[in-house]
Amino acid sequence: MQLRYVFSELGQGLRRNLSMHLAVVLTLFVSLTLVGVGVLFNQQAARAAEHWGNQLQITVYLCRANDSAAVCPNAVTDAQKTEISQVVDDNPEVADFHFESSEQALDKARELYGDELFSGDNPAITAADMPQTIWITLDDPQQYQGITSAVQGLDGVSKVRDMREQVAPILDSINMLQWVALGTAAFLVFAALLLVANTIRLAAFARRKEIGIMRLVGASTLYIALPFLLEALVTALIGVALAGAALWGFMYFGIDELSQNRLKFVPWIGWDEFWLAAGTVAILGPLLTLLPTLVLTRKYLKV
Amino acid sequence: MIRFEKVTKSYPGHPHPALDNISVDVEKGEFVFLVGSSGSGKSTFLRLVLREYRPSQGRVYVAGKEINRLAGWKVPRLRRDIGTVFQDFRLLPNKTVTENVAFALQVIGKSRKEIKDVVPETLELVGLSGKGDRMPDELSGGEQQRVAVARAFVNRPMILIADEPTGNLDPTTSVGIMKLLDRINRTGTTVVMATHDSSIVDQMRKRVIELENGHVVRDQAQGVYGHQN
Repeated sequence: MQLRYVFSELGQGLRRNLSMHLAVVLTLFVSLTLVGVGVLFNQQAARAAEHWGNQLQITVYLCRANDSAAVCPNAVTDAQKTEISQVVDDNPEVADFHFESSEQALDKARELYGDELFSGDNPAITAADMPQTIWITLDDPQQYQGITSAVQGLDGVSKVRDMREQVAPILDSINMLQWVALGTAAFLVFAALLLVANTIRLAAFARRKEIGIMRLVGASTLYIALPFLLEALVTALIGVALAGAALWGFMYFGIDELSQNRLKFVPWIGWDEFWLAAGTVAILGPLLTLLPTLVLTRKYLKV
Repeated sequence: MIRFEKVTKSYPGHPHPALDNISVDVEKGEFVFLVGSSGSGKSTFLRLVLREYRPSQGRVYVAGKEINRLAGWKVPRLRRDIGTVFQDFRLLPNKTVTENVAFALQVIGKSRKEIKDVVPETLELVGLSGKGDRMPDELSGGEQQRVAVARAFVNRPMILIADEPTGNLDPTTSVGIMKLLDRINRTGTTVVMATHDSSIVDQMRKRVIELENGHVVRDQAQGVYGHQN
């Protein structure tokens, strides 16, 4: 097969339809970026949910020594702990529960806030400052009042926190951002598909003489379609590259900056998630242009 | 080389079939004129040979293949055995004469070396040597049709189909094109030519198949255009 011909046709095609190709590239660029941002938000929500505990979990804080809560005259005793776990275990709404020691809580905090608060000769926070906790997973997240009232008021319980109340607003806003990004992306993806279809129609029209002759002299369908497919691939790759760069900028100037300097308490996504988003975009971009091209070249270039 | 067996071709929305139960046999190396008024079914006949359409009924064999059953992806192979020339030349205006002829070989994947050898040879055969670098609009109508014939013949097809090849040319130029087609026919290529040009048919004295309203009304060896006695 004469690749030289195919590539010269490709160059000609790209130049002839420059404005249409530009429109496809820009639409792809914006829609793919939004898809990538949606993926990043999705990962962010997953990561936050994972870190803060499953959204269905309830945390029971047990009394520390010198607890500020009025219900805690002393640190929780082993007998009280047994009593509390018995109550939790007996409750039919509880799916699962586990204890978390002060040391485990400290490790978690260290991971989140960095080492300097916790190290040195006289650290600001020690294991003694961290309460022991019981993490309870419910069968049905709506039925949390039963277990809350059962545990609340038991000796040795400092307070009961329903995780969802704390984390829900943050998770909700991340989720909302995700759907805004993906929803906008869906419209733009549709626009991109229409643009690709129009571009092919114009290109097929501009080349109708060549195509007519190619069919007559017995060029294979693939050979006739190849310049169209390559054009689609080139525009897709440019769109993907631009979207990848935009996502990289979003991570580098947005997330990295935020996570290192501000809002440290949020467990931010990292470069692994960036690569996932970039990979999604890299697969989706060529699909968005190649699939309509394959379908339409079959229609317009039928032998 | 070309065989129609009780072939009917109707188009959707048309009450009368374009071809109605016709049977025709064209041997290898024959030269056949297809005559008849507009709408008599000549173009449908040619398009069936090219497998642009399939017959509604009956069978069409071209170059040993039954085209009814020919899979879509095999159609390009079939067309490499058929050269086609039209009334309106259909040259690519932005390519030179050489490039126009070479195009037909490029797009079926012939090597550059082969193209380099065959194209000038074919241009010489059609009487255009020395004009390979001209653009189509620098040529006369007759010369443009010679380019089209060169393009159709450059792959040495078994069959050459000519649809009114002299329709846009003056009588003198037409004679030149007919001599060219005759020469190509003498190389063993089967030629099927649809035409309205009575003087050409009368001069050539080849086989004439006349169509009327989709029927073969005459099939005559060494015929003339008009009605026989």
